Amino acid sequence: MKTTIILGTLITFLTLVCADHETLVLIDNLNIKETHSQFFKSLQERGYGLTFKLADDANLVLSKYGEYLYKNLIVFAPSVLEFGGQVDSEAITKFIDDGGNLLMAGNAAAGDVYREIASECGFEMDEESAAVIDHFNYDVTDEGDHTRIVVSPKNLIKAPTIVGEQNTQPLLFEGTGLIVDKDNSLVLPILSADSTAYSYNPKSQVKEYPHAVGRKTVLIAALQARNNARIVFSGSLFFFSDEAFNSPVTKVHGDKTKSDVSGNKILAIRLTEWVFGERGRLRVRNVDHHRQGEKEPSSAYTITDTVVYRIEIEELKNGKWQPFEANDVQLEFVRIDPFIRTTLQKKPNGVYEAVFKVPDVWGVYQFKVDYDRVGYTRLYHSTQVSVRPLQHTQYERFIPSAYPYYVSSFSMMIGVFLFSFVFLYYKEDQPKTKSE
Amino acid sequence: MSSLTAVIPKLYQEYTTKTPKKLKIIDAYLFYIFLTAVIQFGYCCLVGTFPFNSFLSGFISTVSCFVLGVCLRLQVNPENKNEFQGLSAERGFADFIFAHLVLHIVVINFIG
Repeated sequence: MKTTIILGTLITFLTLVCADHETLVLIDNLNIKETHSQFFKSLQERGYGLTFKLADDANLVLSKYGEYLYKNLIVFAPSVLEFGGQVDSEAITKFIDDGGNLLMAGNAAAGDVYREIASECGFEMDEESAAVIDHFNYDVTDEGDHTRIVVSPKNLIKAPTIVGEQNTQPLLFEGTGLIVDKDNSLVLPILSADSTAYSYNPKSQVKEYPHAVGRKTVLIAALQARNNARIVFSGSLFFFSDEAFNSPVTKVHGDKTKSDVSGNKILAIRLTEWVFGERGRLRVRNVDHHRQGEKEPSSAYTITDTVVYRIEIEELKNGKWQPFEANDVQLEFVRIDPFIRTTLQKKPNGVYEAVFKVPDVWGVYQFKVDYDRVGYTRLYHSTQVSVRPLQHTQYERFIPSAYPYYVSSFSMMIGVFLFSFVFLYYKEDQPKTKSE
Repeated sequence: MSSLTAVIPKLYQEYTTKTPKKLKIIDAYLFYIFLTAVIQFGYCCLVGTFPFNSFLSGFISTVSCFVLGVCLRLQVNPENKNEFQGLSAERGFADFIFAHLVLHIVVINFIG
């Protein structure tokens, strides 16, 4: 009896811990488990519970009784025409809308389902059977189509939170190109092709202008939605395979870049760390504001008060919430428009502080911190306070520039006083002068 | 033009000889008020209207004093006796003082 209770609590505890790590992997054939074993192994080593399902499995479900069974979704099934069970592009879009993370990899043969999901996320996949071709940067293992291209790590996005600090090894890529919607500010081109690349069907002659040419050809794209759900969309499933992880890289032309091992493994791990929320997550721990010299927070300030605002921000690092270090966090003091916009001063322990003077305009204001940087979750915090005018007793009593007016009105009073004496005195005086 | 130059000395002469001394006292008082008002207005133009309430009360107090002074002068003037039948000069002066009391209470309230 006792052991079952202990076991039960242990299991609930474990499920609670792992709730963030439940991952559904959709594959189109079980062979992928073998060809991408290193990738899946690295995920399992980091504590992810992987559930492998065939993408056309008739019993596929993402949620049960309104609750999602998985936090993350990996789709490695380019050849699937239609998902099985309750999963379709709409269900996956809803999964993202509800905060789920998605890692998706396709190839030149990827079908319409892929295109639908990609366009929902702000990318566009090139036409079916189109692949990225680069006649100047292909690997020695290429089979003649020049589609197994070598991409320099210099083409990676400059965002250490997403791709890590050090990427020096060349990357191998074989698959279709993506076109990124320029107007979509949430989409990030993680890896783009060299200027000599283009995306077209390698088996046919180039008759039309390719959809994606040169550096506009995005190989791996990412999106962080406004609800902080993260999506990584790779045009290449090969990119995550054991073959790409282990193979040495030798470029045939150009600078003949050589490397004993490709950078794919490191980048793949970094990308999964980011997309499943292990890195680049921020949260507000504590917010505090008060008048300078006081300690209690106040719900109303008087105009021209000096106010101290403190916010404590934490970042998830290695599974623990630790103080966040940055020097570009800004505070806005907003009444419809921002009246004050100032950079918060960094203090120890992830505390950011601003001391400023409330503007000479009263109304309802908000302290707003809106920190939106590439790779980090969007941090938004607002606190409402009212700013009231001076009380009657708080106004200055005697203003130096008003002294002439004081003098004049008092001189008027004294003038009347003196005048009455003179006037009354004369009244009695006049008859005398007349009689004389 | 020549008539104007002739009129002004005549006017001055008439004033000095025919006007009762009592009215001259009132005129001197009015002149003093007028000067204060002008100085105040000039100061306001120079410095700006910042303590606007102070400026208003100071300036209005001079203007009102001037108006009250003129009223008193009308009532006291022996030439206007027919106009103010049954109202003695003393009564006029009492009214003048009463109006001043009310005026200065208002001014003091408004000035700071």
